[in-house]
Amino acid sequence: MARDWQPDFERLVDEHQSMVFSLAWRMTGDRGLAEEIAQDVFLELDRNMTRIVSPEHALFWLRRVAMHRAADAMRRRRVRGVDLWIEIEENHGAPSEERSSPLGARVEQLLTTLPEPQRAALILRYQEDLTPEEIADTLDSPLSTVKSNLQRGLKLLRAKAESHLKDYLRPERSIGGALPDG
Amino acid sequence: MDDPNPLNGFEEQLRQAFLRRPAPPGLKRRIMNQRAQRRTAQMRNRVVLWQRIAAAFVLAAAIGGGFTWHYIDEQRKGEAAREQVLTALRITNHALDQIQARLAARDRDDHE
Repeated sequence: MARDWQPDFERLVDEHQSMVFSLAWRMTGDRGLAEEIAQDVFLELDRNMTRIVSPEHALFWLRRVAMHRAADAMRRRRVRGVDLWIEIEENHGAPSEERSSPLGARVEQLLTTLPEPQRAALILRYQEDLTPEEIADTLDSPLSTVKSNLQRGLKLLRAKAESHLKDYLRPERSIGGALPDG
Repeated sequence: MDDPNPLNGFEEQLRQAFLRRPAPPGLKRRIMNQRAQRRTAQMRNRVVLWQRIAAAFVLAAAIGGGFTWHYIDEQRKGEAAREQVLTALRITNHALDQIQARLAARDRDDHE
């Protein structure tokens, strides 16, 4: 049944370029690097097209490879001693239509201060709306680790947001409450 | 109107902040160009590979043919030499027969 589906590379690029680019940008914080990663991910997809059996598989494959390539790129950059996040506040000279809201930019900036596993889990949870089980599959991590990273990352982000984003947060949406269990 | 679960409000704000960004203009074009370049390079590499394989076959055939020709030529020369030796032996044998016949005739004459 799934084998009846014939992957169309151009269509897959059309449908998923925004997702791949956004994952890479939020993971690395570098727009140029994110573009390179997106290109590499799609070229790798082209090389593996025969293994892709369904649209869902293509989406899962792209998310997984994008996250891994972004992590690899960050590791390489760290080895070279480049500060990835130095340009995040300036939005990398992105065209106005690509810029996020001021709150979005500040949240992204705070996100960059989180440890990589927590950042990856939060990006997949809130950008891609994945469940912890799906995140665990995508990142090849145990479910308990993903849940822990989500909880800790969210807690840390909230704490940072409380002190840095008071001006942006709506009073009725105060984030001073306690983190629920689970 | 207070949110009973403040985290939900924060999570909702995160979702808003983490909307997918549009891909940069030209990203798709660059991907398609790179893909086309890669495919052209792959095709060229494949052609070069087949050319090398064909050249290797031609070279192997030439070397094999050379060795075969050399072997046949050596055999032919050997056969010719053998024939020459046999002819020389036949001539020698014939000459010896004649000499022996003459000696025998002379011996008969001496006895008579």
